Amino acid sequence: MRHDPAWRAALLSLLLLAVLLGGWEIAARRGGGAGAAVDPDYAALVGAAAAQGGQTPFPKPSDIAARLWGLLRDPFYVRGPNDQGIGIQVAYSLLRVGTGFLLAAVVAIPLGFLIGMSPLLGAALNPFIQVLRPVSPLAWMPLALYTIKDSAVSSIFVIFICSVWPMLLNTAFGVASVRREWLNVARTLEAGRLSTALRVILPAAAPTILTGARISIGIAWLVIVAAEMLVGGTGIGYWVWNQWNNLSLADIVIAILLIGAVGLLLDRALGALARAVAWQE
Amino acid sequence: MTAYVSVEGIARRYPGMTVFRDLWLEVRRGEFVCLVGHSGCGKTTVLNILAGLDAPDDGAVIVDGQEIAGPSLERAVIFQSHALLPWLSAEGNVAFALGCRHPAWSRVQRREAAREALARVGLAEAAQRRPAQLSGGMKQRVGIARALAIAPKMLLMDEPFSALDALTRGALQDEVARLVAEADQTAFMITHDVDEAILLADRILLMSNGPEARIAEVVVNTLPRPRTRANLHHLAGYHALRDHILDFLLSRSRVRPERWDPRAIPSWRPTTTLPPTP
Amino acid sequence: MPPSRCACGRAHEGLACDAAPPDGTGLHGAAVEQAALRAVLPRAATRRVMLRRFGAAALMAAIGESLPLGAAREALAQAQAPAAPEKRQLKIGFIPITCATPIIMAHPMGFYARHGLEVEVIRTAGWAVIRDKSIAREYDAAHMLSPMPLAMSLGVGVAQPVPWAVAAIENTNGQAITLATKHREKRDPKSWRGFRFAVPFDFSMHSYLLRHYLAEHGVDPDRDVQIRAVPPPEMVANLRADNIDGFLGPDPFNQRAVFDGVGFIHVLTRELWDGHPCCAFAVPRAMIAEAPNSFAALLRAIVEATAHAQKPENRREVAQAIAAQAYLNQPPTVVEQVLTGTYADGLGRVQRVPDRIGFDPFPWHSMAIWILTQMKRWGQVRQELDYAQVAQQVFLALDAGRAMREQGLAVPDSTLRTHVIMGRSFDPAQPGDWAERNIRAA
Repeated sequence: MRHDPAWRAALLSLLLLAVLLGGWEIAARRGGGAGAAVDPDYAALVGAAAAQGGQTPFPKPSDIAARLWGLLRDPFYVRGPNDQGIGIQVAYSLLRVGTGFLLAAVVAIPLGFLIGMSPLLGAALNPFIQVLRPVSPLAWMPLALYTIKDSAVSSIFVIFICSVWPMLLNTAFGVASVRREWLNVARTLEAGRLSTALRVILPAAAPTILTGARISIGIAWLVIVAAEMLVGGTGIGYWVWNQWNNLSLADIVIAILLIGAVGLLLDRALGALARAVAWQE
Repeated sequence: MTAYVSVEGIARRYPGMTVFRDLWLEVRRGEFVCLVGHSGCGKTTVLNILAGLDAPDDGAVIVDGQEIAGPSLERAVIFQSHALLPWLSAEGNVAFALGCRHPAWSRVQRREAAREALARVGLAEAAQRRPAQLSGGMKQRVGIARALAIAPKMLLMDEPFSALDALTRGALQDEVARLVAEADQTAFMITHDVDEAILLADRILLMSNGPEARIAEVVVNTLPRPRTRANLHHLAGYHALRDHILDFLLSRSRVRPERWDPRAIPSWRPTTTLPPTP
Repeated sequence: MPPSRCACGRAHEGLACDAAPPDGTGLHGAAVEQAALRAVLPRAATRRVMLRRFGAAALMAAIGESLPLGAAREALAQAQAPAAPEKRQLKIGFIPITCATPIIMAHPMGFYARHGLEVEVIRTAGWAVIRDKSIAREYDAAHMLSPMPLAMSLGVGVAQPVPWAVAAIENTNGQAITLATKHREKRDPKSWRGFRFAVPFDFSMHSYLLRHYLAEHGVDPDRDVQIRAVPPPEMVANLRADNIDGFLGPDPFNQRAVFDGVGFIHVLTRELWDGHPCCAFAVPRAMIAEAPNSFAALLRAIVEATAHAQKPENRREVAQAIAAQAYLNQPPTVVEQVLTGTYADGLGRVQRVPDRIGFDPFPWHSMAIWILTQMKRWGQVRQELDYAQVAQQVFLALDAGRAMREQGLAVPDSTLRTHVIMGRSFDPAQPGDWAERNIRAA
């Protein structure tokens, strides 16, 4: 192709975004009140839209942009435990995600190895895995709070229990699908079980394992936002809940954008890691 | 001369089917033996049992006076599809094998030896390349280098060139002939390519069709060495040898004689130079 | 609880009574006088003769000429000053609604610091979370709905009973029934059949008041309408999305609904029961036993803050302090309208109801008894209860009274009184048929 397709696609994306935002801005401006005549004393006591007989509308893109700028200008302030900058909230969430995810990796990868190498173990554990896997974090949270009692540890536990499954299953699958031939090579070279596991099975299964990790980090990030909304304290999920209290929709939209942006970065990071261990035949 | 490798009465069965039973064969030191037969007769199973990757249901395999019990560095295998580890370079693959053979060696020693082994198969410049960047022939050469680098007692080859195109196959056959001769390597190869067998082998074992396959005949290859692809078909006795083997594959491989002694397999050699042995 | 010796010298149950003057007469004064008498007349026989001849009063007057008895009495009274708190750093959880005004305002306005405490007020996600964190002792004290400590102590809605106490009532009144703007013509509750209502929690005054209101108008709260528990900020959003038709909820969300043009205030709960309790300052009984001085200091701070908030001239200042992002996180005008009582009602008029919300810390036992009757009425509690005993164990009128006394506030003589609820009188001594389901016939 003569023109670079990636460049064209990016331009089209931006154009679509501009059209969407423009349409939104115009629609939001138009959705005011009916302009009913209202006592000026009364008007002073209610919001701008209600003063004209309407309802406070969904914020416009320009409102959201202004608010975003305000938040990003000073992202790390601390004014007491209930009021901290958005950068700090994201940092708290990332810390919890990191801890829960690493715990999940530490459990899932070795266990997945064992399951992959032993079909008997795999068959025995399969019913448990299949039952526990679909359970939502919102269902785990009350159970965790009740038994663990500490809300910080409970959040990390919920992240752990929701993100462990993709890594576990992918590791098991990756290990079980290692080419017979390579295992035979290791056997004829008298490589030994540990050496085979570390130098043949692990590199062979690494791309699959890291794909599982990539899925897991996405789930972990999703879960932390939900968990923080339930438990509160600090974190981006808690920040969303707090702005919800204030019915500040602009802030909630901004939080959604931030959550998406961070999720994207996490995914990219693990994608890069997956590419580093990838091999071709 | 006592046999270096002695296969004594091995059998392999699957539920409802016997691949073969009561199979006896010998390989002498420095000898190159080929096993020829149709697909599905059980040749690969024999090789796997010799390699130790599979265990026989009956009988045993004795190598250098000791019964084998599993795979060993002494019996190196060259697989049909190279079986190189794709995340390692060519040098890395050979170094891995050397590391298994000589655990005390340092990384530098291993790499040096690996490079030497690759040079011997003519792949010195491709040492750092990964298998994905090598052609089929080059990959198989790495496989050969890997197997020879560990100086095994016996080299086992499972149709090593069948996945390659004709030209590459020819080149590699010559290489293997040279390398095996240089190292005085004992070798056992499975193939269904008659010319290949005639080029490389000292003795050719003809296997009948399965199930219940047997080694129907031992053909002694009397053609003079050194043999290359270029001069092979000019050698006296070549055509007789070739015809005999083809006849077997095309018509006699399904025949089952009534009186049969697995330990005394009939032997045949081309008659142009010497009278037939009884 | 055993009856304590009041400073007035009489042992009686209940409260510090009016007869315990701070200037040291009474029990303290008697101790000083006895000491002085023994110093002047060391021999018991002589003392008896003198007392019989002249009488105690004349004798003390004579001694008082030379010894500074007055100063001694005052000194002894002062020596009963508060002991140092065992634990100075405390955590208190709160839900960001105006009911928690005293708890919240005590932080920026320095009431905690004044009583030697370093308190962190922590905004919490919901009633269930506050309950769980309190049980787990992550919070030393918490803002709770006043029925919650009763439910927790009885083992209702929790895994096992855990003794909890209401140390002070946070606020009285301060709630409202808010309806969606589209129902502006449907002011008669009889036309509310099929409506969907929201309340913040099942164990709340909101739930009980709504149910009683509906029952009094002939609407069965379980069969004719739907009542669900919804977190207060979601009430306004649900109203807007037409998920609910109305709610009985805490401010500032009633006012917020008006502010955003989604609803109007149908009736203030003050008009249903003027002076009804709403939220409470709740502590585990264990905390009082483990850190009694901290508890006493905390209670003093809360009571002082409550009294400060009650005064109309302070309301605006308090509203500004608590509307900040770290506390309620609401537009200041919304909070101000709630606290000052000058507010827009959602129907185009500005109303003036200065006691729309009140701050009176006294935890009447009669309030607790009413709550218990309603818990029975709606089937939340099935066992037989000794109302008075439970009320006494959970609502700590004595401690609150003592703290109020120290602040110079008037303390009631008794823990029981009758309340007038929607025109009917509730007598705690004879709860009568208040625990019966009683849906008034339409």
